[in-house]
Amino acid sequence: MSEAMRAAPTKPNRGYGRWTPLWFLAPAVLTLFLIGIYPTIFALVTSFRRYNITRPREGFPFVGFENYVSVLTDSTFWSSLLLTAKFYVTVLPIQVVLGLIIALLLHKPGMGLLKSLARVTLVVPLATTYAVVGLIGRLIFNRDFGVANQFLSFAGFGPVDWLSTPGGAFAAIVIMDVWQWTPFCALIFLAGLSMVPGEIEEAARLETSSKLALLRHVQLPYLLPGLTAVMILRSADVLKLFDMVFVMTRGGPGSATDLISIYIQRVGFRIFDLGTASAQAILLLIITIVISRLYIRLLYREVQ
Amino acid sequence: MTFLRLDNIKKNYGDASVIKGVSFAASKGEFVVFVGPSGCGKSTLLRMIAGLEDVSEGQLYIDGRDVTYEEPAKREVSMVFQSYALYPHMNVFENMAFGLRMAKRPEAEIRAQVMEAARILQLEALLERKPRALSGGQRQRVAIGRSIVRHPKLFLFDEPLSNLDAELRSQMRVEIAKLHRSLGATMVYVTHDQVEAMTLADRIVVLRAGLVEQIGSPTELYDKPANTFVAGFIGSPKMNFISAKVSSVSGTGLRLDHPAFAGGSLGVDTPAAARAKVGDTVTVGLRPEHLTVGAADPVLSLTLDFAESLGGSTQLYARQSTSGTPGEPVIALTPGRPELKPGDALKLGIAPGHIYLFNAAGLAL
Repeated sequence: MSEAMRAAPTKPNRGYGRWTPLWFLAPAVLTLFLIGIYPTIFALVTSFRRYNITRPREGFPFVGFENYVSVLTDSTFWSSLLLTAKFYVTVLPIQVVLGLIIALLLHKPGMGLLKSLARVTLVVPLATTYAVVGLIGRLIFNRDFGVANQFLSFAGFGPVDWLSTPGGAFAAIVIMDVWQWTPFCALIFLAGLSMVPGEIEEAARLETSSKLALLRHVQLPYLLPGLTAVMILRSADVLKLFDMVFVMTRGGPGSATDLISIYIQRVGFRIFDLGTASAQAILLLIITIVISRLYIRLLYREVQ
Repeated sequence: MTFLRLDNIKKNYGDASVIKGVSFAASKGEFVVFVGPSGCGKSTLLRMIAGLEDVSEGQLYIDGRDVTYEEPAKREVSMVFQSYALYPHMNVFENMAFGLRMAKRPEAEIRAQVMEAARILQLEALLERKPRALSGGQRQRVAIGRSIVRHPKLFLFDEPLSNLDAELRSQMRVEIAKLHRSLGATMVYVTHDQVEAMTLADRIVVLRAGLVEQIGSPTELYDKPANTFVAGFIGSPKMNFISAKVSSVSGTGLRLDHPAFAGGSLGVDTPAAARAKVGDTVTVGLRPEHLTVGAADPVLSLTLDFAESLGGSTQLYARQSTSGTPGEPVIALTPGRPELKPGDALKLGIAPGHIYLFNAAGLAL
């Protein structure tokens, strides 16, 4: 063995020391800490203090569970939460059913070019910022020149006052959420359908000519993990849904679209009661975690 | 009586023609094997019988009924796939019961049918298991069980043994043969393995590039191959081919010249002699297992290249070296372990009835 070869591994590598990996990791960890971990801890600490920034002279005293007690006895908090739940159980079935229909259509053989075009189109609503979706919604549902009323007039119905009636405003945010999130369900289900091995589908086709039986007994087991993912992501997403609704209705008219995030925002940044708002946010976090664990326990079964 | 009939079946994918007109009939209870190299269209043909591929042209009849455009489930056929294609989320019992459940049979009948199939295939102890908890051979048995519970008119097998190891493969081969005997059902079996074809088939359909090369019983294909392709495909090791020139033709015999023959030429008595003339190229086919070492009247005079002992028999690789360039290698399979070294002269004899002759186009003379 030559001298050079033996020397090579022990030769100190200048520029790479014990702490080098740390410098590579530091920016990401620091950023995550600043925008994720620190605010969460800050919110947790704040939720135990009286923290109204319009009254700085009163200081920020530690008050124990006082904020939590006042949140849990606040009927507006509960009605906002109930409205959010109502919103969730309205949009999710529509998105799942429409998404499944789109996925089944895209899964059918043939028409390759149109299908790949459709797949790309599906990404557009997903890539649109919530606030922009809200702005589009305001245009679509405008009473005087919105396209929604124009379509209704074709069918012979008079103009509907979408955004200034409680029912209309709720329907409008439901429609915009369905528009934005149905493609997501379709893509997830499409991925699930393409997981079904071709020969298994063929074996079933030899045993039954019913498309429904094929879906129920052969394809559905492959769709369940995706459905769980959709339910978890959507429930977390609906609980924090803010921008789209805020831009479209600001929670109104009255409290018709006052979803939980809108309400917390109002408590925090209109009344400036950050202690109560933080307690609400922490409760929301707990609810999200509990719901997610529940779904995973109930629905998530591995296929193979 | 004809039970399955293919009438000039064709399959095109766009401009590419995969099956170029296959006609064939099988009677009830027959075991038919489609055999051929990869890409010859044998699986496509089977999938067209099942209804999983559309028929581009031609007619398909099962049990006297035209099913060319019938849905797969209404053809009353069952299929065993290469990957077994068991439903992963159902246990063994449910896998076998699925077809009957879809046909809305009464629960008691379903139970009886599945238990009967499980008994035949020795799956009783595994009925509660999921497919992932089974070995390859067990999965294959479940796949076969799933196809027999429905009492289909026709059983289709698409290379069912190719994912199994050698020992299990020969074991399952015997089980499939027994099953065919006990059920008396019509079966169509696709394989690229000529050993499976020879051992299982009542009749073999040899396919190449979308066309039928020959249809016949295993012994017919072995004894009377229609052309050099069939002759080379059936039998292992492969038949040796020597292209020789016809030097003289008499009433009942030919004299063929090639440096590999002992004395430079070979006389063959054949009724086909009249169909050849002097100067023609004739391909002589000799099966390795028919060549004998140390015969009194040798026909081939060669030099040994290499000898492989298989224990009970020896495979010899030899070439002619008397004149010019060494020709194509000749393989001989001989029992025992002859005392030979590479470079030794090798004289090989053959019984006259075992010499196959093909014309320049590769067709049997």
